[in-house]
Amino acid sequence: MKRLRFLSSGYGRGMAFILLVLIVAAGFATAEPRFLTQASLSGIARHMAANGLAALGLTFVVIVRKFDLSLAGVAAFSAMSMGAVIAAGFPLTVAIAAGLLIGLIIGGISGFAISRAGFPDIVTTIAVGSVCSGLAFLYTGGRSIFQNFFQSGITNLNDARFLGVGVSLWFLVAAYAVAWLVMHKTRTGLAFYATGENPNAAAFSGISTSRYVALAYMLCAAFTVLAVLLILAESGNAETNKGANLMMPAYAGVFLGAAIMGGTSVISTFAGILLITMLLDGFSLMGVPYYYSDGVVSLILLLGVVAFSDIARTWIGGLKVLFGQSGTAGRASGGQV
Amino acid sequence: MTMTYTENSPSRPASGMGASRLAKLTIDLWLAVALVVITMAISSVKPQLLDTSNIAAMLKTFSIMSMMVLGLTWVIAAGKIDVSFMQIAALSNMICASCVGYGWGWAIAAGLATGLFVGLVNGWLVAAMRLPPLIVTISTAGICASAAAALGKGTVIRIADPGPVGSLLNTMLWGAVPVVVIPVLLIGALAWFMQERLAIGRYIYAMAQNEAAVRGVGVPVGKLTILLFGLSGLSSSIAGIMLAASLSSGQPMIGGPYLINGLTVVLLGGMMVRIGKPNILGTMTATLFLGVLFSGAALLGLPDYQRQIIQGVLLALGLAVATIASRHHRGKKKGH
Repeated sequence: MKRLRFLSSGYGRGMAFILLVLIVAAGFATAEPRFLTQASLSGIARHMAANGLAALGLTFVVIVRKFDLSLAGVAAFSAMSMGAVIAAGFPLTVAIAAGLLIGLIIGGISGFAISRAGFPDIVTTIAVGSVCSGLAFLYTGGRSIFQNFFQSGITNLNDARFLGVGVSLWFLVAAYAVAWLVMHKTRTGLAFYATGENPNAAAFSGISTSRYVALAYMLCAAFTVLAVLLILAESGNAETNKGANLMMPAYAGVFLGAAIMGGTSVISTFAGILLITMLLDGFSLMGVPYYYSDGVVSLILLLGVVAFSDIARTWIGGLKVLFGQSGTAGRASGGQV
Repeated sequence: MTMTYTENSPSRPASGMGASRLAKLTIDLWLAVALVVITMAISSVKPQLLDTSNIAAMLKTFSIMSMMVLGLTWVIAAGKIDVSFMQIAALSNMICASCVGYGWGWAIAAGLATGLFVGLVNGWLVAAMRLPPLIVTISTAGICASAAAALGKGTVIRIADPGPVGSLLNTMLWGAVPVVVIPVLLIGALAWFMQERLAIGRYIYAMAQNEAAVRGVGVPVGKLTILLFGLSGLSSSIAGIMLAASLSSGQPMIGGPYLINGLTVVLLGGMMVRIGKPNILGTMTATLFLGVLFSGAALLGLPDYQRQIIQGVLLALGLAVATIASRHHRGKKKGH
């Protein structure tokens, strides 16, 4: 029984996750030897950096128990805005600052509408996303922007290396480290969680819940902007469909990670996005057609949340009782949520 | 995560002075009034709007669109969300197109069965597995979209003969009304009857407010949820089949734009009749409204992206009215 309790503890889940990653990696490595080459691994690192930043942003929103479906729209609009600023001859830092500002404003609008005005989160963010993806066409009417991209140095974000690892991955690790410190070691992080768990109790504890909800949306949009920045750096141009593929991996990363690790956190998102990126890159390396990728991610997400749902756990608990193990074993694994 | 709108207001003013009744009717049906106004405004600038061929095209779009969102209306009215309806339509569309070789009867049956099946799976995952509706439907949407693309290996499937559905869509009454409008309106009327006169309608709106209480009085909420998602899948698969016949092909990527279109008409429709609550009559009026608006925008030469911005703003407007109406309602109730 002690052993079973260990399995449902944080360390047990972490070990289970590492085992899962190793199994997936071993599976791909045997099916496709190129999976473990330098080129493939650095590709995974690059894609993980973009997916991981978007997923980190979404994590804040999910922690306050909301959803954000404006990721694709925000990514498209900010990509074209940053592209337009670069094409106009401004330095890269100005472009990034402009992109972040746009992200913060859009996130602020969604956050304000949802937290202060009481709009329903899903439909509000769909509306905001729709307007943003329309606005993305304002600069060029939908044509690609590539002027000044190479002179501006944006491609260095993709190509430069530090200690043998691409800078984008360092960027990701730094972002997650800061986010982990803030979310899990400070009062601010606790306030985010309290807002999600029980807004009323949080409000009575002196937490301005609407401020934290708005902040979560602003962070989500800002991290989406950073994610799409890396995508622009990889492709060397800005198009209106950049970032269209950010949303599904982000959702899958956050919810799959939460399902495996037993709760939404910065670490669980990191775990989820690592798994998802490995799977996506592995499948594309094996030559699985592009149109399967969304379906595979969706299927994994669905299987993950079903397998780790409370109901499935009670079933497993029931099976244990059925096979003569102690009934408390089921409770031990079901108690941790 | 759940979207709550206003309280049910069963005590409608039964009767009153003729004038106030007229005022109430205007408030209730203001979207229909707006529809007439916008039609007149656009047609005064671009008379082509009311050409018989344009009316026929608009009514065809109306028929497809209203089938797409008929079931969605109730899902949202019950406080849940379904973002898979458009991809269910795309999958049904592709399945129907790839089964046409066995005859249209089988193709229609396969398309409907697909929609109903995916819808029921959605409902089961939400009701029995207690998973968040957004996560469930976002995943099934991704799976359906991939399956649709995989059926045609990434491209379209052509249909030689649009079959009986095609003749329903392309046969005109009085030169301007596709025959398909009649069954669509009949289905709409049946749904309206269910929503307004049968217990199920009461349960749907009650669920949005307090699911536990509805469960407590003995309503099988789980089964109802499965039924609502199943109906949503079924009705959008009807739209998918109509699209297959209308375009003479199965189009795997057809779903995408319908997400925002669909949510816009449902929430815009929620601004009339039952203010702040999605309802069948409102959805169908809003579908016609959006159809006229888009047709007018195309005639006036607005590019696609501007239409998209207009639509996002309309959706936000619908939300604002729904939110304010619900707050107003709640405030009034507290005052009593």
